[in-house]
Parts: sequence; C-alpha cells; structure tokens
Amino acid sequence: MNPLAEFFLQVTLIVLIALVIPCVHRMIAGPSAADRLQAVDTITTLLIGIALALAALRQEWMFVDIALALAALSFIGTLALARYISEGKWF
Amino acid sequence: MVLMSEIFGIAAVAFGLFFSVVGILGLVRMPDVYTRLHASGKVSTLGLFGLLVGTAFFLPDTALKLIALAIFAILTLPVSTHAIAKAAYGHGITPARASRDDLAEGRDMSPSA
Repeated sequence: MNPLAEFFLQVTLIVLIALVIPCVHRMIAGPSAADRLQAVDTITTLLIGIALALAALRQEWMFVDIALALAALSFIGTLALARYISEGKWF
Repeated sequence: MVLMSEIFGIAAVAFGLFFSVVGILGLVRMPDVYTRLHASGKVSTLGLFGLLVGTAFFLPDTALKLIALAIFAILTLPVSTHAIAKAAYGHGITPARASRDDLAEGRDMSPSA
C-alpha cells in the first residue's frame, strides 16, 4: 500500500463523508416524505461507499461484509418505505 | 514503485468519486423530487460501482465478493430509485416544470390503482 494510494483513499473518505451533509440537509428540509426517503437512500449508498473505502484503506475484509449487508438491508427498507408512502400499508 | 493494480484502483475510485460528487451536486440543485431522483441514481449506481471496482483492485482476495456486491447493487439500486419515484407520484407530487404528464392521461386505463 504505497503512500500515494493511501493518501488518495483518505481524500476519498473525507469527500464521501462531506457528501453526506447535503443529504442530511435534504432529509431535514425535504418538503415531502419521498424527499426524505430519497435522502435516506442516498445516505445509505454513501455509507456503503465509505465502508468500501475503509476496506481498501485498512486492508480489512470485514468492511466488505458490512457493505454487502448494508446494501441488502437498505434495498428492502427503501422498498418497504416507498410502498408505505404511496399506499399507507407496506406489505 | 507503484503497482499496476493500484493505478487501476485509484482510477476506478476516482471514477466512482467523480460520479458521487456530481450526483450529490445534482441532488442539491434540482428543483423537485423526480429530477433529484435522477441525480441520486447516478450516485448509487455509478458512484458505488467505481468504488467497488477500485476496492476489488486494492483487495484482490475479496474480489469475488465485491463482484457479487456490484451485480447486486446494479440490479437493486435502480429498482429502489424507481420505487421512490412511484411513491412520490402516488403521494401526489407533480413534477415542478413538467409541460405534460403522460401518466395522468393513461392512469384510468392502467388496471392497477
């Protein structure tokens, strides 16, 4: 892991974490429930990206499993919430 | 000396990072839900895909798991974006600057509610 790649991955981590802030703003300010759901979905995707960047930075395999589980659960959660928003019941 | 795999890893992560930044920029600037969904779709599919390929180059042992995650993400994230758009439309949100609404005209013909 030469210093150039390590520095670049640290910059990636910082930028990805900085990208969460507009999503949190959208989640709070979002006029409708769909805006908030979309913001949560984007935050979850960014979290998966952060987990992957950490996996690459720390050469840890654990974060890849975390990203896999997060991807699966966020997909199911988003679908349930989207259905709840449009139809009032989610199954 | 820089390994070839790390050059590709840095290039892929840069690709993913670029689309994440552009997607979040779109999410901030777009006027209503549907256009923001279009922007956030970029973040989830292309941004995540770049990061996945980059991590596969940095962690070659877990490459198979990362490819499985990439396939899963490419298949499911557009579906979740579409579900949010359908929920927004069901919630009664009209597009901000839409000149016409095709779904509204076809709504009475569509069997499902």
